[in-house]
Amino acid sequence: MPELRTEEYQINMGPHHPSTHGVCRLLLTMDGEKVVDAVPYVGYLHRSIEKICENRTYAMCIPILDRFEYVTAMSCNYVFSLAAEKLGQVEVPERAEYLRVIMLELNRIASHLIFFGTTAMDLGALTPFLYGLRERELIMDLFEMTCGQRLTYNYIRVGGVSRDIPPEFVPKCREAIKIIASKLPDYEGILNENPIWLARMKGIGHTDPQQAIAWGVSGPVLRASGVKYDLRRDDPYSIYPKFDFDVAVCWNGDNYDRYLVRIEEIRQSLKIVSQALDGLPDGDIRAKVKAKFKPPAGEVYVRIENSRGEMGVYLVSDGSEKPLRVKTRGGSYNQLQFLPEIVRGRGYLIADIVAIFATFDVIMPEVDR
Amino acid sequence: MTQQELTAYILANYDGKLTLLDTGRAEPMFELKPDDLLEVTRRLRDDPQLKFDFLCNMGGVDTGQRLEVVYSIASTTKHLRMDFKVVLGYENPSIETITEIWPAANWYEREMYELYGIEVKNHPDMRPLLLPEDWNQGFPMRKNWDAPDFIRMPEL
Amino acid sequence: MLLALVSFELIDIFRWAYQLLADTGLPPVWVMLISYAVLGAVMFGVLALLALFLVWWERKIAGHIQQRFGPMRNGWHGWYQTIADAIKLLQKEDVTIDARDKFVFFWAPVICFVAAFLAYICIPFGKGLIVADLNIGILYIMAVTTFTVIALLMAGWGSNNKYALLGGMRSAAQVVSYEVPMVASILTVIIFAGSLSMVDIVKAQQGHAIFNWFVFRLPFGPIAFLTYIIAATAEANRVPFDIPEAEQELVAGFNVEYSGMKFAMFFLAEFVNMFTVSAIAVTLFFGGWSGPWLPSWVWFLLKTLGVVLLLMMFRWTYPRLRVDQLMEFAWKFLVPVTFANLILAALMKHLGWYW
Repeated sequence: MPELRTEEYQINMGPHHPSTHGVCRLLLTMDGEKVVDAVPYVGYLHRSIEKICENRTYAMCIPILDRFEYVTAMSCNYVFSLAAEKLGQVEVPERAEYLRVIMLELNRIASHLIFFGTTAMDLGALTPFLYGLRERELIMDLFEMTCGQRLTYNYIRVGGVSRDIPPEFVPKCREAIKIIASKLPDYEGILNENPIWLARMKGIGHTDPQQAIAWGVSGPVLRASGVKYDLRRDDPYSIYPKFDFDVAVCWNGDNYDRYLVRIEEIRQSLKIVSQALDGLPDGDIRAKVKAKFKPPAGEVYVRIENSRGEMGVYLVSDGSEKPLRVKTRGGSYNQLQFLPEIVRGRGYLIADIVAIFATFDVIMPEVDR
Repeated sequence: MTQQELTAYILANYDGKLTLLDTGRAEPMFELKPDDLLEVTRRLRDDPQLKFDFLCNMGGVDTGQRLEVVYSIASTTKHLRMDFKVVLGYENPSIETITEIWPAANWYEREMYELYGIEVKNHPDMRPLLLPEDWNQGFPMRKNWDAPDFIRMPEL
Repeated sequence: MLLALVSFELIDIFRWAYQLLADTGLPPVWVMLISYAVLGAVMFGVLALLALFLVWWERKIAGHIQQRFGPMRNGWHGWYQTIADAIKLLQKEDVTIDARDKFVFFWAPVICFVAAFLAYICIPFGKGLIVADLNIGILYIMAVTTFTVIALLMAGWGSNNKYALLGGMRSAAQVVSYEVPMVASILTVIIFAGSLSMVDIVKAQQGHAIFNWFVFRLPFGPIAFLTYIIAATAEANRVPFDIPEAEQELVAGFNVEYSGMKFAMFFLAEFVNMFTVSAIAVTLFFGGWSGPWLPSWVWFLLKTLGVVLLLMMFRWTYPRLRVDQLMEFAWKFLVPVTFANLILAALMKHLGWYW
């Protein structure tokens, strides 16, 4: 019998696809049903944020950097403000620091709830998406109460925060924490022990810790591989040393562990927020910073722990009111680079690629800027 | 080793290849010559006292007078962080790739090439990353780049 | 009077109409042809209405499971939402790709649609309300529901699209694999009933209130029902087995290139299929149309809609299985279980240890 001729074909998981979060094109080389290689093509969402920021004053850069990673816009605001404050040696008042931490952690919870919803949706369970977003609405209401915006906040400014929280914020925040904490067991009940969920997530997308570090992967993806590296602990910024929280780590580095790590991080963030609310002092919410902020010439790289990993800004100033160079670095960039490494040669199906992409929680604006 | 001791350690052990720039901050900023890049970075990664295994950031900077490539590295085990830069001129800027030392540099170097025009030698996969494949309108992030629809902000 | 109204049987209307037709004096061939044509039209109308109702109902159930309302604006609780959607689909441009295989592309939705309806010839909607009481009723239904595989393969091939081809091949593999446990579970029921005819199967479950239902004939009945429902969910391409049309992966799989009326045909055929497998489940396991007080067709509808509700709740709760896990589940788990069930049931019946 003559040998059957088989050949590999290429399929485009194109920019328009319900599962690639944002516009990302993955060129999959397939051998039958198995994926041999996956090459990401990015740049569909490139808005040249860095070039724009070179032409804006420091205060104007903040709303632009909101769009750098809009799911966790507070972190984007914060990392830029941190860089500018380090350059200009601005002392941030304590109340502002507490408010910043509350907003950052609430944003992390909101981002992880979206992760929960979209991952479940990508795997076919369409209902948890609405449950996750229902809880996220509570947080969105809190943000709207504070700064008027639900997604791109322009709240954390150089020197502090832009406005104080209204008096109804604290009781509403405590109530939101209680509700979210009570719903987490429900989410775990739907999915954690579900045999279909386990079959789709366990053992898929294994990341080797040393390889992950070499590729610059950080955040929940790295912690799920067993490396206990959380910038809030290992390279502390703001007032995180004051809070008592655990760092969620898992050992296998597969999809299921990445999912578990993020659910546990929601719990830890709830802990931090309630501690911050307890210890919220009175005082100024913003240091006296000129409207045309002019830090002395110099350069600095600061990094924070975002929900997707390490988010950093490399800020170069030449003494004028506009930054000379704003190089932003997002966690999803490295994770998307890393994706072909864990897909190549493992014999995954397209369904697995979808699951891996979902649990990496890649947000395209962070990659393309 | 703390951040403060790091500067002293590097200045002592790296034969002056890394010259310290004064930033007044705990994380030191060094300057490196392009020819020493591969060797020094390999030593930084493998040094048992330092173990810089994590490349945080890498990018190009156009200061108006020169091009620079800045690297930020960190150690996941030793809680250390440092930055260093390589200074290049505007004519034929080129640099060695460090993807064999930190594979994370792969996309960073691709982006740096297409935005700044800094050629990266021996890169495994030099394709445009963010810009379209048929982009031929120069290197956008350079200070002297201009295009008909690039509108600068008016002075306030 | 009330009793007469309540025990009114729909079959009497049909008998009266047939009598009317026969009395007109046309030759018997004509009478038969006209009566079947009318019957076909009535069936088609009923099923089309049912399909529309099911689409609306699914959206409401999905909404309520997800803590929202579903369609609310088009009429009271959105009852004519589906009609609005159908009109929208009808007036959409029929986008056709140049490179398609014309014959195959055109006939795939037709075959799918027709195959979905053909099964209803043998399903008893009520006492005597069956179009043709074939003495191989259930066998006929099994044979006819397999036509959808051809339609899916044709759709996948004719679209000239890699995604569609993948979707078509996967769905063919899935449907064919799950036919085996489905038929085996049905055969278990046939052993109890002693006949392939649907009417006989319902008759065998009557008496003793509900305890004669085949689902309660322990231990084979419940196992057969469970395996049947799982296999039926896979046959109907519903989650957790909806890989062929998985929106998140293959962007609607085999029907990615269809638009307008052709897409509507696939869509409605899926819902009609879902109703078919539920109707079969009800007839085989839950006593068909038997039930006290209410007319038989009302019981049938209620029971079938109950099983449909079960299928819908599966869809909105579970994630979906990967295609190789799906096949593994069918061949390594369902087939041995159903065959073991079948053999044991046959043995018990043969040894006379069962009623």
